[in-house]
Amino acid sequence: MRTHMGTLVAAALVVVLAGCAGPVTKVATGEQTVGDRLDVSLEGPWNQVRVPALAPARVWTMEGLPLDRLLVYSGIKNEQLIHAEGPASRKNFAFRSTMQPDEIVAMFEGMLTRDGSSFKLVKLEPADFGGAKGFRFEFALTRRGDNVQLSGLGFGTVSNGELFALLYQAPRLAFFPRHQPRVEQMARSARIKT
Amino acid sequence: MRRRVFLAAACCAAAFPRLARAQWQAPGRFARPEAGSEEGGLWSMMDREEARLRRSPFALRDPKLQAYVQDIACRLAGEHCPDVRVHLVRTPFFNASMAPNGMMQVWSGLMLRVDNEAQLAAVLGHEIGHYLARHSIERLRDAKSRSAFGQFLGMFGLVGAAGQIGVIAGMFAYSRDHEREADAIGASLMRNAGYDVAEASKVWENLMLETKARPGEDASRSSPLFATHPPAEERQQALAQLAQASPGGVANEAPWREGVRPYLHEWLNAEVKRGQHEESVALLSRVMTRPLATAEYRWARGEVYRLRAKDGDLDLALEDYRGAAALGGEPPETHRGLGMIYRARNQAAEARASFQRYLEAAPDAADFGMIKSYLEDLRT
Repeated sequence: MRTHMGTLVAAALVVVLAGCAGPVTKVATGEQTVGDRLDVSLEGPWNQVRVPALAPARVWTMEGLPLDRLLVYSGIKNEQLIHAEGPASRKNFAFRSTMQPDEIVAMFEGMLTRDGSSFKLVKLEPADFGGAKGFRFEFALTRRGDNVQLSGLGFGTVSNGELFALLYQAPRLAFFPRHQPRVEQMARSARIKT
Repeated sequence: MRRRVFLAAACCAAAFPRLARAQWQAPGRFARPEAGSEEGGLWSMMDREEARLRRSPFALRDPKLQAYVQDIACRLAGEHCPDVRVHLVRTPFFNASMAPNGMMQVWSGLMLRVDNEAQLAAVLGHEIGHYLARHSIERLRDAKSRSAFGQFLGMFGLVGAAGQIGVIAGMFAYSRDHEREADAIGASLMRNAGYDVAEASKVWENLMLETKARPGEDASRSSPLFATHPPAEERQQALAQLAQASPGGVANEAPWREGVRPYLHEWLNAEVKRGQHEESVALLSRVMTRPLATAEYRWARGEVYRLRAKDGDLDLALEDYRGAAALGGEPPETHRGLGMIYRARNQAAEARASFQRYLEAAPDAADFGMIKSYLEDLRT
């Protein structure tokens, strides 16, 4: 009985976290263009995982998806969903080009807490991103499936009515501090192609 | 699962009129089953989950509120009180569950929605009904035979995220007959505890308001759950009959409102961020009529309108924010919301005043830096 329980929880967690992830490919160090519109300079390689449930975001990870993930949004248009459309019983979150930073953060919060996870905004402040005026935010996320406490970091800007954003999350202990500098560096290097 | 309780409630009066009217006799306290038995294994598993729940960051650890809800559960459970252990859980969805070992979960989304003790008692009584009738054991055997163990666990609010993914499956976790019986038992427990059984039907009606508000086709017709249950009108009728069979009893509205008041802002904020704007507007429009903490409700509805931002929503948001401020005791975020709308409308002076007031009232706000930058922009 206990074995069943553990297996089910683990299986459910993997499905939820990975979103039925596909093959992993390497994102090499150096200049990279995400979605034809967002240039970034990477000081180290990342792993890219195909996760249809999280499209149109590109999903990158350093440690593997159950641990950390970086969502890269490049050129999300007005009214476009920030994740794959789910069943009617679940809320779908769409970007609006008139959204203010707090509304964009609330949109990400809604997406991250659809499974009952808990989100707490730690900081929201102005910051340049992609060569434009944008915002930076930090958050704490408690994952519903396994109660793991995560820390998160996000950057975003709306350019010509399109959303460009990074959203990174990893376990608060060890993994987030290990990779935060890499994400910060990537955010500083980001440039939106006009 | 989270709506299972009330949807099934409607069925019971029609299906079990004699049981509903008669004095239902509870069984004696259950002895712990032998560890090697099927039921014993289930209890052990639930014990382990209960230990996990106690450590969970989602557990709402407030001895006063916990004791309050525990007392309501005890009044319903009677002799079984020592075996019922209430756990309050921070989750903005409508749900309560009870495991066969006596572990009862009450989610914050449920506590936000009920208007009084009697409405909460209707839900808890139903769950205790499942416990007393030992429905879970029957379901365990059935689930094992059908390899539906995950859905079975979902009955108790377990399996974490999968509990949300499998909402529909969870709602079907118990059979319709079990739900009817649990409702009949729950009504009997409510009556014995001195609660007004009519409040059970109100909870169901309130929940239907939210369900029907969801965009798209009428959820009461499109949902697989509703599709397999009698029409709404029939359910309402059945509940009304159940209440008429045993009129009287108390609702205890004021003590309930006072008891949950410290958590109102937190729960409302979680409701707003759920992003189910139409459901939230329906909920908040209803609860705004409550006598306590009205400013909080108006602020919350204003936030929903602002975040939804459809045609006319910003005007509605302004009206609610201003209404909250006029009532007094409004949360600081009321002024942030006002400032955001004024800023979007190029009303610089009003935006400055609102943002200034927000920062003064909430100097430790997470978005202090963002709002301060708006203020600086507005001054130039």
